[in-house]
Amino acid sequence: MARGGSSRLEPALLNLACLGVALFILAPFAWMLVSSLAGEAELTRRPPVFVPSPPTLANYAFIFTGQLPRDPARHGIFVWQTSHEVRLLLPALRNSFIVALSVMAANVVFGALAAYSFARVDFHGRRSAYAFILTSRLMPAVAVAIPFYAIVQRLELLDTYRALILVYLAFTFPFTIYFLSVYFRYLPAEVEEAALLDGCTRFQTLLRVVAPCAAPGLVAAAAFAFMTAYNEFLFALLLTQTIAAQTMPVLLAAVATNPAVSHALLAACVILALIPPGLLALALRGYLTRGLVASVAR
Amino acid sequence: MTRRALAATAPTARPGSRAGERCYPYATVLPVMLVVALFTVYPLIYCVHLSLHENVLTRPLDHDFVGLQNFREVITGYYFWRSLCSTALFASMAVLAVTLYGLGTALLLNQAVLGSALLKVVVLLPWAIPAVISGIIWRWIFDGDYGVLNGLLLVTGVVRRYVPWMSHTVTARLCMVVAHVWKQGPLAAVFLLAALQVIPPELHDAAHIDGAGRWDGFRFVTLPYLKATLALVLIYETIVAIATFDLVYVMTGGGPADATAIIGWYAYTEIFRFLNLGHGAALAIILGVALLGLVLVYLRALGSEET
Repeated sequence: MARGGSSRLEPALLNLACLGVALFILAPFAWMLVSSLAGEAELTRRPPVFVPSPPTLANYAFIFTGQLPRDPARHGIFVWQTSHEVRLLLPALRNSFIVALSVMAANVVFGALAAYSFARVDFHGRRSAYAFILTSRLMPAVAVAIPFYAIVQRLELLDTYRALILVYLAFTFPFTIYFLSVYFRYLPAEVEEAALLDGCTRFQTLLRVVAPCAAPGLVAAAAFAFMTAYNEFLFALLLTQTIAAQTMPVLLAAVATNPAVSHALLAACVILALIPPGLLALALRGYLTRGLVASVAR
Repeated sequence: MTRRALAATAPTARPGSRAGERCYPYATVLPVMLVVALFTVYPLIYCVHLSLHENVLTRPLDHDFVGLQNFREVITGYYFWRSLCSTALFASMAVLAVTLYGLGTALLLNQAVLGSALLKVVVLLPWAIPAVISGIIWRWIFDGDYGVLNGLLLVTGVVRRYVPWMSHTVTARLCMVVAHVWKQGPLAAVFLLAALQVIPPELHDAAHIDGAGRWDGFRFVTLPYLKATLALVLIYETIVAIATFDLVYVMTGGGPADATAIIGWYAYTEIFRFLNLGHGAALAIILGVALLGLVLVYLRALGSEET
């Protein structure tokens, strides 16, 4: 890409610009990490202590074990007393995981089964069923908030995992089915036809021939479903009432909107809650990017 | 997109030889259909029913049919117009900023430099995390009493004393836009990058040989290729911006002085603060129809891009 006399300067400028954007993306995470390793007193100084010395794990220790800090002056023992909800983070994360993993599993199993039928099997009403499932996703969330509450209440599922799982399935199925049926169609059909001629049923063909080829698509679909369920807030807020079912976003919103919260503890909560989607985003970067692109561009 | 693809696959389907095979497609599609239908058909009917009746939870015995009165009351209400203005302001700023930031990031990601590889690793992170958490992070950064932004500006001498960013209408809106851009930008960047990557490199070389500069190359080679994707990103981001709720909930609670009470938040407060389900449902329908219109435009743009 050498172009004229400015070619030596240009990569440097481009690198600088890349670093600038990366800094904008990473700095908020970095400040959260720093805050989580600091004492409350260091954060409420003006200006705050930018590098806590020495870094402390007392915030994390409190969240995990309820152990009070050895250095009360540094940690502001008073705000710790008004921040006791952070002790509920682990149960809330457990709830989030149970809900998100169930949604993910159901999407992979039922979503793949239905998507394969839509992609390869001819049956009555295929087109209208497909169109119905896709258009169902066009409804904005606020518009259906009250009816969802009414349905869940009538099913006597308020404040349960099952309510959240059902609602998130209704949200995630359309995307999963669209995404996977497009994916299945791009696989070569000859192998499947050979399997069918050899006497495999449709189900066996899907399980033994299609699924192994479509593994990257299934991984991406699973990750999308997990993230949608793990990140959702509005319906988790409406449909749960206690820590029996409250998910992490609901708990963190409650902690964060408490005016007397300890920011160091809140930061430690945020860091812990970020680990699962952060790891997914880093580990499955390629799958997710290709999946996102395929979902709009194909 | 779906019609063409469905038609293309028809020949591979074989008539089922056994009864089980004949039932197979229905058995696999049914569970999904049931879940989706339960949370689509019934909610729609219920929402329309609510909007046509008086339904205030503080007056549980009055459920008269009131026709379009809820819609009239909502549309003529002072707060509706205020929230519309806030929504329009927030959406236009957010969409513009997200698109420009996404475009810039995509152009950087498309370069063959070391920094670009680094950026590629981290770019999806803000997209992957819950909107609630991004709101919490940015609220803490912009905090007027202890925020790190104030700390940095004080240390570098830009400000003499801490500025309460979240307490002024203008700056509070800007703070929301920054948080929104940070969270939504990566998706726009990924979409635009995909469009950039299909531009044949020969075109740039040809333009270069013809004596086109950097800007001309962008203007006459890159931009025409990006037009369709840019349109998609603009519409998609408009829908996302209008439907923003989580960010308002944790960052501002609609304040200060209702400056950030955009329409999703307004519908939420009608329902859960004032307990007026009729108004809430009417608002939800108005919002739903508006968003549906945008979605249809989006799908049309998507269709025209493919042909």
